[in-house]
Amino acid sequence: MVSLRIRKKLGYSVSTVNGDALNKAKETNVALSLQGRVAGLSVGASNGGPGSSARVLLRGLTSFTAGSPLYVINGVPMDNTQRGASGEWGGADYGDGISNINPDDIESMTVLKGQSASALYGSRAVNGVILITTKSGKKNSGFGIELNSNIQFDKPVDNTDFQQVYGQGIQGNKPTTLDAAQASGNLAWGSKMDGSDVMQIDGKMHKYSPVNNYIDFYRTAPSFTNTVAFTNGGPNGAFRLSLSDLRANSIVPNSYLDRKTFNFNGSQQVTPKLTINVVANYVLENSKNRSGLSDGPGNPNNVQFLAPNQDQATLAPGVKPDGKELTFTDDSYVTNPYFAANYFQKNIQRDRFISSLSAKYDLTKWIYAQARIGYDKSNDQRVDIEPTGTAYRNDNGTMNQSNNQITEFNADALINAKHDLVKDFLNLDLSIGGNIRKSSYTGTFINGQNGFIIPYFYSLTNFTSRSSGPLTDDPFSKKQVNSAYYSADFSIKDYLVLSTTGRYDVYSTISNSVGRGIFSPSVSGSFIFSELHKMDGVDLGKVRLSFAQTSNDATAFANTVYYNLNNSVNGVPTAGFSSQLPNLFLAPFRLKELEAGLEMKFWGDRLGFDLAFFSRRTKNEIINANIDWSTGYTNRYIGTGSTQNRGIEVEIHGTPVRNSSFSWTPSLNFTYVKNKIIQTDGITNDNVSLGTYRPLNANLALVAGLPGPQILAYDYQRDAKGNIIIGDNGIPVQGALKPMGSTIPKMYGGLNNSFNYKQFNLGFLIDYRFGAKVLSATEYYSIFRGLNKSTLPGRETGVVAQGVLANGQPNTLNVPAQTYYQGLARNISASNVLNGDFIKLRQVTLGYTFNAAALRGTPFSSIGVSAVARNLWTIMKHTKNIDPESGFSNDVRYTGIEGTSLPFTRTYGLNLNFKFKN
Amino acid sequence: MKKRYIFSCLVAGATFMSSCTKNFDEVNTNPNKTTAELINPNYFMSQAQLTFSQTGYDQLLFQSMWVQSLASTFSYYSNGDKYVLGGSGTGYYNRTWNRGYSALTLVDEMKNLIKGKPEYTNLDACGSILRVLFMQRITDLYGDAPFSEEGMAKAGNFTPKFDKQQDIYAAMLSQLDAAINALDASKPAPTTDLFYKGNIPQWKRMGYSLMLRLAMRMTKVAPDMAKTYAEKAYAGGTMSSVADDVKVMTDPNNNTSSNSDALLVPDDFREVRWAKTLIDYLQANNDPRVSAIAEITNGNGKRANEDRTTPGINTASLQLGMPNGYDLLGGATDISKAPGYPGATPAVDDKDAPAPDGRYSRPRLRVYADKGSANFIYTYGESELLLAEAASRGWNTGVAATHFANALAADMKSLAGYNATPTAVVSDADIATYVAAHPLLPGTALQQINTEYWVATSTTFDFNEAFANWRRSGFPVLTPVSYSGQYITGQLPRRMPYPITLPQTNGANYNAAVASQGADNFATRVWWDK
Repeated sequence: MVSLRIRKKLGYSVSTVNGDALNKAKETNVALSLQGRVAGLSVGASNGGPGSSARVLLRGLTSFTAGSPLYVINGVPMDNTQRGASGEWGGADYGDGISNINPDDIESMTVLKGQSASALYGSRAVNGVILITTKSGKKNSGFGIELNSNIQFDKPVDNTDFQQVYGQGIQGNKPTTLDAAQASGNLAWGSKMDGSDVMQIDGKMHKYSPVNNYIDFYRTAPSFTNTVAFTNGGPNGAFRLSLSDLRANSIVPNSYLDRKTFNFNGSQQVTPKLTINVVANYVLENSKNRSGLSDGPGNPNNVQFLAPNQDQATLAPGVKPDGKELTFTDDSYVTNPYFAANYFQKNIQRDRFISSLSAKYDLTKWIYAQARIGYDKSNDQRVDIEPTGTAYRNDNGTMNQSNNQITEFNADALINAKHDLVKDFLNLDLSIGGNIRKSSYTGTFINGQNGFIIPYFYSLTNFTSRSSGPLTDDPFSKKQVNSAYYSADFSIKDYLVLSTTGRYDVYSTISNSVGRGIFSPSVSGSFIFSELHKMDGVDLGKVRLSFAQTSNDATAFANTVYYNLNNSVNGVPTAGFSSQLPNLFLAPFRLKELEAGLEMKFWGDRLGFDLAFFSRRTKNEIINANIDWSTGYTNRYIGTGSTQNRGIEVEIHGTPVRNSSFSWTPSLNFTYVKNKIIQTDGITNDNVSLGTYRPLNANLALVAGLPGPQILAYDYQRDAKGNIIIGDNGIPVQGALKPMGSTIPKMYGGLNNSFNYKQFNLGFLIDYRFGAKVLSATEYYSIFRGLNKSTLPGRETGVVAQGVLANGQPNTLNVPAQTYYQGLARNISASNVLNGDFIKLRQVTLGYTFNAAALRGTPFSSIGVSAVARNLWTIMKHTKNIDPESGFSNDVRYTGIEGTSLPFTRTYGLNLNFKFKN
Repeated sequence: MKKRYIFSCLVAGATFMSSCTKNFDEVNTNPNKTTAELINPNYFMSQAQLTFSQTGYDQLLFQSMWVQSLASTFSYYSNGDKYVLGGSGTGYYNRTWNRGYSALTLVDEMKNLIKGKPEYTNLDACGSILRVLFMQRITDLYGDAPFSEEGMAKAGNFTPKFDKQQDIYAAMLSQLDAAINALDASKPAPTTDLFYKGNIPQWKRMGYSLMLRLAMRMTKVAPDMAKTYAEKAYAGGTMSSVADDVKVMTDPNNNTSSNSDALLVPDDFREVRWAKTLIDYLQANNDPRVSAIAEITNGNGKRANEDRTTPGINTASLQLGMPNGYDLLGGATDISKAPGYPGATPAVDDKDAPAPDGRYSRPRLRVYADKGSANFIYTYGESELLLAEAASRGWNTGVAATHFANALAADMKSLAGYNATPTAVVSDADIATYVAAHPLLPGTALQQINTEYWVATSTTFDFNEAFANWRRSGFPVLTPVSYSGQYITGQLPRRMPYPITLPQTNGANYNAAVASQGADNFATRVWWDK
């Protein structure tokens, strides 16, 4: 855990984002604020409401199981476990580890992109490392108080552009009975809307004309953050203590996130040689009614597919007079949105304590020893209630509760020596250290059985029986990694640096017979040519080159055959085993990376750029491949995967104007990454299936030779001349499953501008991405349900599809529109693969700072007022009915899959910052 | 001095590290699971039997309505009722496949664990019989499928070849024969057997009945082989009373009946009905089973129709089957347009709505929606019917008329075994009257036998078997449903397409199977159905 060495000398690429960029216009998950700010970094979210997880990918899809970078707070790795995401069968996003961190406590975030940096952090650093430095007291600063208040409003945005001609109904008829109305609430296959009276779900007659107000189901949701921080610094020590309270409301009624954080950061020089540092961060989070996503059950977002004439208010309050759910479609698994929002519960409560204690002792002027212990522990309690009256349940509803504990323990010790081997010419900076990391995820669950005895009484006591037990499978995990490492920097004067690092990791998840230990070396060099040869106007000129290798371990318990007991049958025991085939020969996978860079600064830093080229490739990746049940298992672990990423990162910054009252500082970053799956299982190179969407007729997969994750969708079947082949039912025949493009962007980045005029400052960030595809369930449903504009032709006359029959004759079969488009949606999923490119105005902040002169006579030393906004304007997009960033899961296997999640939101707010005089 | 410092730290560090890795095997051991040394292999047998029996939606969505035993106006059931994909459509193709192979893998693992252990001879033989039982259902529905290379992932085969159904049948017969011969009542019995509580003579009879069923499946394509094995089975001794019925009683608390789970879903409860074809047939024959299996909603209106707590009225004369192929969508195929539509039951108050399906007979609540009811797999009555058919064909399997009479009585008696507390009870007097009134007539023997087979397997909710035997025998004669947007038109399905993931998970072998067997659709006939 050598902290960043003198940055100027580094032989690899890093970027830093200051807290200012993160804590004025806030995201409840601070990782989302990094979007567009750092070359090489792409950030995605799941539309699950406040506190949802972030998908942060550095330099493309690093490996088959790529995930977020390792977050290291003040030198100690923190846990970033994903607490449950939704998939094709629904679920909710219960947040990740980084979402607990209070942005107001962050001084800066530094992104270490290359593997040379990662060699020092071990296995989880294959996805890169983000160093978080929290705010601290400064020596001799004296006592200070700072208060920051923030209020923001999330406003839901309707991105749909559905047809407004035909109303609710089926096969060309509007509903005439209550039954028919309640069976077709999300079908717009009715007749032409003519303003006549029509029976609606609430049993009343309404006008058969467009209202199109589903977005009114959502609310403009305020969120409040108040942070007060106390700092003090004397000659021998300093501290900062902050208390923060966040209340973030979701745009879904009844859903919110409450977060209280206490952060303490103190350092004390105990003796002239010994310094002790303590960091303690306590997080109390209470998240109420996480929104169901993706699939229908318990999902309030089903509201998005109402027919154009349907007033969303007719679904309120979600129950019938008898207290049971008021259903609005013929599928009881499509929950009434009001019922989902008002009665379902998906709550999670988290207590988390992230602490670290470190001591640094100066043995001599040039040698110090450092020991550090870090412990991160979360207790999560999750309660899911399916209430009494739920239409799809055959009992009085049910309740599940789980209590999970996640821990991450790190102990490390190192000795550092800095010494001139040849005086004033050759210097050695050497660190040698060791690290022990233990992590675990354990838990227990209690599930109610046979439904509540007493309706509406939601307690685990209210069941005739309960099933309970410990977690037995993933995410249940226990791991330990012991490591030893060194880093040695040889520098010749100040212009030539050669660094080498080495790390030996021993993994508990790898079996002894295979060999648990693996060595990961790196070597990097930087040459600051501007030091050697001064050039006019050139402040810095540096070339760098590095090569590194890292490794990553396997899932816990994956190399042993285990058997588990199942529920008994009338007292007779039963047992089984996982359908996941264990692999007794799992070995750690390796990642090799070569990076070259050029960094230059000109004219007193008026202009500068940093250019990096990287090429990285994995070997022996452990993948969990799908196999057919007829093999006896559904999945298997296999260590044969290989992924390649090559790319360029450019960061350009400048200060075109800078004078006493005005300055303009633009910066631009650009990333191009070319990903390629080199090998999957190594034998047949079959696709590795990843996630899918609820319509199930397309999925993501890793396809050898193509960038991952690749969308596989069914296209039309065509004859030799390219004509579409039509089946004998008049509907185009399903063709082959085809790769349709990757869901991870090829090009992305941002343009940030910051203007300062006297006490005013204005900043805005534009970000963009190109070359990413989206697999859209919204598109599927809007075709299947007659909402999409493409379903307009043939409503009155029926559809005669253009194409040929199997016998080669032109098709003449006329099919009713509903039958045709529903068949088409089922057969042809290629039409749900959309272009996900966009350019967005991501963030704008406009601030005014009152200076000391203006505050004379007040207790304040400074007051800052900022108007802030996020996601203000989508400058360019190609998707017609969705926001291209929509998604329901942050899991990389579901990247770019969207459908039935919360709508995109715009955020406006005000940030006030008070610093008290000391 | 300083160097010594550093050196001693390094040594200390290295020692520390190596000592800490000693417990790594323990760290990487899952404390909540066990391994081969401790597990009782019997428990895999009970799990396999349960898994195999919990068919639920696997067959309710398709086979139950293909054979016109059940009918539904609900869109989810359009898969079977109208030959129109509903719900996740193609995603359901894999259900019977996956259930079959997941049960097989449990038995395979059990057999691996007890290999070479003489004290488990009977468990091993029962395992072999179960493998045949499980495999027959898979191949009957899909045709060619992996059998010789099935369940070999652990041995490194992830892409098993598909065996031709003809070869599967030959292999099943020889394996079954060997397994029956290996059963030995003097040796320890399986301890957690959900079929027979470890009764070896019953297993033997079940084994021979299974041999009989395999044999009779081949009457169209390999009559000689069918005869050989049918006679062999008869000589060996098949199931001899309803006590031999193969079934699993589910557990109302921890492993509820998957049929009840499905039927108790509000939509299903409201709109799944016995089919007109079945009820008409039963009533035309004055079959006393009508009031054992069917009831109409007690009370008018939708609320009563959705009430999953009040049993209906099972008076035989009030029962009415719903025709297949209708919906509630208000169009030409709305149930109200069905010939003989009895009308909706009216709303009882202003908070209620009419129940369009309210006058059609549903599967009885206390019988079929009982959470601890039986999952029938194979009955004595079915075995007797197969013997009756074999005898009618002139094979040496006893007297056809006797077997047929046995079967009629048994099929009615078996229903009482559907629930822990007998509910679907047909009185002995009614049975006797019916049996006397329905003697087997030589001219119509095959029709009588196989139609009764259809009734028996429908009333025990074993629609897999109803569908297989209908395809083989052609009885009863069923008229295909017509509806717009069908996946098969003008005929009934003859097969289930393979799981849609197979082209990805086992592409080459899948393609070879399709090339050999014929297009992967609902129309291609399996080998014994040619």
